[in-house]
Amino acid sequence: MEEVDRIIVHSLRSIGCDIEEDVQSLRQFSTELIVATVARCLKVISSDLELPSSLPPGMSARFRVGASLANHVQDLGYKGGDLGYQTFLYSNETEIRKIFMFLVEKLPKESSQTADEPLGASVLLHRAICTELSNQLSASWTPTFMKDRGIRSRSKPPGWQREGACCLQYYHSCPTRTPVGTANLSIKLPRETRSYYTSKLPYVTNQTRVHRDTAPSVLEANTLEVAVQQEWETEWNSVGLASRLTQQEFKRRKRERLLKLIRDRLQQDSQRQERGTGPSALNDLQQVMTSIEAQGKSGLSKTKGSRFAHTEKLQYAKDEEKTMAQMGTAAPQDTEEEQERKRQDEVDGLREELHKVTSDLEKLDLEVRKFTASQQQMDEVIMTEEKSAEEKKAAYTVKKRTLDLLPEAEANIGKLQAVVDSSAQRLVTLAKQWESHREPLIQQYRELRQLHSQRESEAEKKLEEIKVFRARMKESADEARRKEELQKQLVSEFERMTKDVNRSAYTRKILEIVANIKKQKQEIDKILVDTKSVQKEINSLSGKLDRTFTETDELVFKDAKRDESVKKAYRLLAALHENFESLIHTVEDTGVVTREIRDLEEQIESESSKKILSNLEKISEDLQQMKKENSGLIAKVKGK
Amino acid sequence: MELGSSILENISVAGDAAHISDKAFISLVQAACQGVLLEEHRNAVAENPAFKDTDKAILKEAYSGLVTLILEAAKHDSSEQNISSVLEDCKFTTDRISSFAKEFLPQKPHVQLLLGKISSSFPHIVDVDWRLDYYIKNNHLEKVNSAVYLISLKTEVPGSNDIQEVQFSCSLEQLQDLVGKLKDATKCMEKLTQG
Repeated sequence: MEEVDRIIVHSLRSIGCDIEEDVQSLRQFSTELIVATVARCLKVISSDLELPSSLPPGMSARFRVGASLANHVQDLGYKGGDLGYQTFLYSNETEIRKIFMFLVEKLPKESSQTADEPLGASVLLHRAICTELSNQLSASWTPTFMKDRGIRSRSKPPGWQREGACCLQYYHSCPTRTPVGTANLSIKLPRETRSYYTSKLPYVTNQTRVHRDTAPSVLEANTLEVAVQQEWETEWNSVGLASRLTQQEFKRRKRERLLKLIRDRLQQDSQRQERGTGPSALNDLQQVMTSIEAQGKSGLSKTKGSRFAHTEKLQYAKDEEKTMAQMGTAAPQDTEEEQERKRQDEVDGLREELHKVTSDLEKLDLEVRKFTASQQQMDEVIMTEEKSAEEKKAAYTVKKRTLDLLPEAEANIGKLQAVVDSSAQRLVTLAKQWESHREPLIQQYRELRQLHSQRESEAEKKLEEIKVFRARMKESADEARRKEELQKQLVSEFERMTKDVNRSAYTRKILEIVANIKKQKQEIDKILVDTKSVQKEINSLSGKLDRTFTETDELVFKDAKRDESVKKAYRLLAALHENFESLIHTVEDTGVVTREIRDLEEQIESESSKKILSNLEKISEDLQQMKKENSGLIAKVKGK
Repeated sequence: MELGSSILENISVAGDAAHISDKAFISLVQAACQGVLLEEHRNAVAENPAFKDTDKAILKEAYSGLVTLILEAAKHDSSEQNISSVLEDCKFTTDRISSFAKEFLPQKPHVQLLLGKISSSFPHIVDVDWRLDYYIKNNHLEKVNSAVYLISLKTEVPGSNDIQEVQFSCSLEQLQDLVGKLKDATKCMEKLTQG
């Protein structure tokens, strides 16, 4: 029973009942404690109950509280005998134990539920933060001058912690460079790069201008790489695989698409803005567009585009300079009008001259163009003439031949016929040969085509398979990660769990109890068998007795007819039999009585354990009090 | 703890016995920890005679891998198990894993303190001076008769070593309000630790 009590007390404590440390068994529970704990249990089981957590001072109120508790417990389905206010107010140990066992069983099993649902990494992190914070809070305050640059040592758990804000620095990072692929023999590094890596590149910790930027820079580089990889992976899995391109191809297409998109968008915007804003903004846009176009056209684009933009910018700058210069020269002319007029004349003269020269130049230009055009025409004419000459030459040779053949027309015609025949025959044989070659080639072509299509379908199948595998891989990786997290969380849960309930001890005890019960059952079985055998023996003995008695009875009865003394013996026999019968009865009766006595003794024991006397005293006291209250109330009523 | 593929490659270079000998590896881990922690040792790896025979390009690659690993492990407060699982993926032998853990784990709190420095913060109150004045009268009023608290908060400001003062005066009610706010903040912290 002690074990049971301890378990009950522990579980009551775990739901937040205020039980003192030294209370170990239910016997130590006072009436107040019983009422408080039962109310607490009921509240935990169904949270919407309205119950007082402590006993009120008035007797009638106490009675009501007890009755309502009994009602609620019975509503939960308690089936252990009669339950009423007396169970709680005038308690006895066994009943209270029964009720608590029932209530503890009914308690919602929170712990098992929380263990089932997996907590994420964020929860674990949150917990770690909680423990760290509580560690820091438990430390006592120390003045700043006791800390070395904001760092103080602590003893539990041993280590250091940072306090205050005097040495904080803002996050600032710079790009870092690391050698790539120096150890990988399959990648050929250019000699220049290698020598740069070997002799010039500083070590990572020495790359930033200020040493304190090292850690942020390195962390940022890593995070950047991880993020880029993740992004690429998701994109490749969702879109890339389906496109059936290689990774490089996919990337190239994506870049083209993006450039085109940007170009289109900029063009649209520039068209829309043409009315709205001035030409300067438009110029800028066009500059950007041209640079993008230049980028899109060639692979080396970047430098080219920028150079182009650069020169353009330079030109604009020059124009501006020119105007600025003109403005500058205009200023001093205001002082001397004479000079100005002279200069103006000069400028006009020069301008006219310039006009003339430029118009001359234009004219000459035009002429040159005209000449070049006529030259081209001439060239074409010459070409056509040459062609016709050639044709005429060919016609002439054919005609000359036929003219040569004319004198011996008959023979020549025959010869020609023969030549024609032979050539016709040759053509036929060639066609045959061609047929014979063609047949297998076509066959081969068809086979190859079939093979190709097969291969294509196979590739498609493989692709499908790869997709499935990839999905499965992802799934299993996810699963593994989830399991790992769960394991971590369970481990942390296990560490956090209060170790005062020794689980293994309990299980051992339970096993022992089970073994004991088994042993007892065996013993009971043995005793049952024993009693059965005893009963059998009794039965057989009584049967034997009956039979022997009837036998002797008959024998003696036969003899009794003849002999007087035997008659007496017969009477004695009957009396003997009767006496023994009564003796047996008495023995049986004694057995029954002893059994009854034992029963009664047990009953007395159980009744005495119910503290009836003390309870009775309490009840009578309570009755007195109640009567007093009642009389007081009556007096009050009357007084009113 | 997540590491990019090039970082993992760098780390596996550090674990490859063909490139870096066992003895040099231990020195390299030490140098990486020191290089991260101390400004005067930021270039110590270059002057260390233990790496005389090692190819400098490979040494630089391995060094940067180890530096990243050390910083990330300290950032995530990784246990020895987590680190060893990462190192196993990089084909480290068990000897090297244990020697890395032996060199790094004692340095982890220091690295964490270093990382803890990277932050921004409001001025941090470390101490307070106060004075209670009794304000009797002024040129407009003959009788004022009220208490005035002069408070001077000593604060640490990020980026400066001196303690700076924040001074203000307040009435009793205002001071009570301030104290109440501070108590609320403390309670909030306590609640967080139980969460």
